Amino acid sequence: MSTSPTTIMDETTPTAQSVEVVMNPASPALDKSSRFNAPTIIDIDNVDFYYGQSKALHGINFPIKEKLVTAFIGPSGCGKSTLLRCLNRMNDLVDGTRIGAGSIKISGVDIYDPSVDVIELRKRVGMVFQKSNPFPKSIYENIVYGLRLQGINQKARLDETVERSLRGAALWDEVRDRLHTSALGLSGGQQQRLCIARAIAVEPEIILMDEPCSALDPIATVKVEELIHQLKQNYTIVIVTHNMQQAGRCSDITAFFYMGRLIEIDTTEKIFTNPSQRQTEDYISGRFG
Amino acid sequence: MPTPVHSSSYSNGPAAEQIGKIRETLLLMASLTDRNLSLALRSLVERDDKLSDAVEAEDSQLDELEVSLDELVINHMATHAPVATDCRFMLVASKISSNLERIGDQAVSIARRARELNKEPLLKPLIDIPRMAQIAAGMLRDSISALIDRKAEMAQEIIRRDKEVDAINKQLARELTSFMLEDPSTITRALNLTLVARSLERIADHCKNIAEEVYYLYQARDIRHERKA
Amino acid sequence: MTARTHPFQRKANLASFQERVVFWSLRAFTYIILLFGVCIFSIIIIKGAPTVFDSFRVTGSFPFISNDFLFTKPQTLHVFKYKGEIKQMAADDYYAFVGQTPAPPPAEIPTTPPAPAPDANAAPSGVAPVAPVAPAPPAIPVPILTTTGINPDDITEHETYSYAAGGIWPQIVGTVLLVIGSMTVALILGIFSAVYLSEYSKQGPFISAIRLAIVNLAGVPSIVFGLFGFGIFVLAFGWNVSLMAGWFTLAFMILPVIITASEESLRAVPQGFRQGSLALGATKWQTIWQNVLPYALPGILTSSVLGIARVAGETAPILFTAAYATSDKLPWEITITPDRLSSGALGYLEYPFLWIHDFVFHGVNALPYHIYVVSSKIPQNEYTERVQYGTAFVFLGVVMTIALASILLRTRLRNRLKW
Repeated sequence: MSTSPTTIMDETTPTAQSVEVVMNPASPALDKSSRFNAPTIIDIDNVDFYYGQSKALHGINFPIKEKLVTAFIGPSGCGKSTLLRCLNRMNDLVDGTRIGAGSIKISGVDIYDPSVDVIELRKRVGMVFQKSNPFPKSIYENIVYGLRLQGINQKARLDETVERSLRGAALWDEVRDRLHTSALGLSGGQQQRLCIARAIAVEPEIILMDEPCSALDPIATVKVEELIHQLKQNYTIVIVTHNMQQAGRCSDITAFFYMGRLIEIDTTEKIFTNPSQRQTEDYISGRFG
Repeated sequence: MPTPVHSSSYSNGPAAEQIGKIRETLLLMASLTDRNLSLALRSLVERDDKLSDAVEAEDSQLDELEVSLDELVINHMATHAPVATDCRFMLVASKISSNLERIGDQAVSIARRARELNKEPLLKPLIDIPRMAQIAAGMLRDSISALIDRKAEMAQEIIRRDKEVDAINKQLARELTSFMLEDPSTITRALNLTLVARSLERIADHCKNIAEEVYYLYQARDIRHERKA
Repeated sequence: MTARTHPFQRKANLASFQERVVFWSLRAFTYIILLFGVCIFSIIIIKGAPTVFDSFRVTGSFPFISNDFLFTKPQTLHVFKYKGEIKQMAADDYYAFVGQTPAPPPAEIPTTPPAPAPDANAAPSGVAPVAPVAPAPPAIPVPILTTTGINPDDITEHETYSYAAGGIWPQIVGTVLLVIGSMTVALILGIFSAVYLSEYSKQGPFISAIRLAIVNLAGVPSIVFGLFGFGIFVLAFGWNVSLMAGWFTLAFMILPVIITASEESLRAVPQGFRQGSLALGATKWQTIWQNVLPYALPGILTSSVLGIARVAGETAPILFTAAYATSDKLPWEITITPDRLSSGALGYLEYPFLWIHDFVFHGVNALPYHIYVVSSKIPQNEYTERVQYGTAFVFLGVVMTIALASILLRTRLRNRLKW
């Protein structure tokens, strides 16, 4: 197998059949452990997604469970970030994108329904980006930005939120003495945790993370991963990563995408020890992608 | 106070949790093995069949623990790609658990022999076997505490005690052979005692292996098969 | 013994010769350009600076120092021979000297000279020497003496030069008002349309066409903008020749620059700021207003500095729309007669509105236009040079001051909002 890695691509190009097998929600490993019997919070139902004329996602169909960490892995351009951005409709910002078929339901509500206010949706589904993007304001103002948008300006409430969010993001002890200094003075890892704190300040239910550690050094990465581990007590987390070990380290469920299709979704342990699809194994063993 | 046994370089988070779980399972296995071994020896010395039954019953628990520990180890290796001490700990934990499980099996075998022996009066007062048992049990306890307390030097000392057990075993075998030659009616009992001694000798061997693994864990040097002195 | 050779030995060849020629030609071109610049600036400074600095005068009251060139209105210069002695006098001094009753000042004349408009209220010019009046011993036929006892027949070779005496205060005021007003209008319009173009509009051929049209507007000659402003604002809107018409004409002239620069600056704001804000549940406008525009502003201001120099320097657009060669009143020297107010107590509330109305619909003078007038509409000789170069010098100073102020503002903003 390792002698001919080039043959992998053609012989394992996903077919409708192979996708069908793994998309069966009654995956034995998923049901085995009671840990995974959590209720479904996001239901992705046969979603096709288009950038203009080109189809980026093909019939994606799986549930995301509440208060678990779900990781999307796959080679670049496989559609994992696209799918993530569908979940809080950040794709709306890109001209010419549309959901061609299927629906995405969060807590049973189709988020692409015309009656959905995308602003309310994004308050409930927070997002952390690949490149940490603190605003060039003070740490304090960064955290309360979302609250101020909602018209909340009482000092006591803001102070309380700042402390709660920073503690939640394991950053409080590091910055408590300089809350009013510029957020840009923080290190890269601190900035990313500040972005997480900013996201949890508006009390979302779901936090989407788009390669949150790709710009961080290993120590900062470990801190963010530990933070993700803590956050899953209270939040449902969906993380996109192109670092497979990261998916292994911090997720409960791993979904593997390739060429816009979901190839396999299962518990992270199962994916990493005994993936049922050849492509998954090739990818996580580093033989392609 | 240092954290007992190897503790992960991760302060918290899933990796530390998983390593902690492996550590707990390993220590649970060790204490179960220790208990089973002493129960087996008591069943022999105190001539109590109930204790033998207990040993046999509890061995299955040990087997299950071994399986689940291996699962934990492979999951951790697959998902976290441990390196350095973490990586050695994965290998060592798996090997120690396998040795512990075999010690448990030997304890079961001792318990079975004890049940046989308890049917007839003693061939001779038990002197050498308790001595061997004491040394072997001491080796097991010490190797586990070397693991817990991170004492690589202690491991080296344990390895030396294995020779003592071997010597006693040889001497006892000779003694029992002469019993059998003199009086064929003692053959069953003498054979059973020989088997018990052999089990104890095997246990000491496993303890030696554990000690070697402990040494490898903390010193990153493999001292197996280094018998020059 | 062979010469010391090695593989990297320097050899004379065509390439190295070419290299040297190119280097020296490039250097020569650059320094020639620099030389011209230095010449232009030094002529203006050498000839213009004395006009400004000789006009300083200590006064008896606060602020104890005054400058007749900077802070008085222009006057006609009278040059004449009095008893064989050549005298130069500003109009005020001349009339005081000869003692005639000055002719009533004519009304505002929007056209160019000859139209001497001596203002009786202007401060006395520093140029005028105090005439040492010796009581003239009357000789043969008793001449008709003026009130100051001067025989008009003694004044010979009398010539007048418009604007060659006095100062340029109205022109400075006019320029500053035009710059501030038109930059405000241009920035507001420009930023809003840049925000629309780069943040809101769907990118496509139509928007690209609009963008291309805007960029091309920058190439339109400024006189065309002047005609456009004259046609639209002065005639069609009926704003007459006024500050308002000048503001809008100039604003439209620099809008292409402002829009292009604003779009650049908006694009330079990291995309992450927008996404981060939107992901926190901000609307598009909240995002732009709180998280994009503040960070784009320094960049927008930087490029507006160019616009300032252009607005201040253009003559053509204001030729028909805002500039009078002379104006007897500054924009704020407005009197609102009570009959324009509605009757009743509420009528007084109209006062500020009327004041603003009169202010913005008042024509002004401007420095570039004044330079144009004094250097092409009146005869050139040694008497007029003073005002020509003095005005150019002051003009440079005004543009630099405004540019410097906006650079300082930009630096402050940038320090506050660094990312």
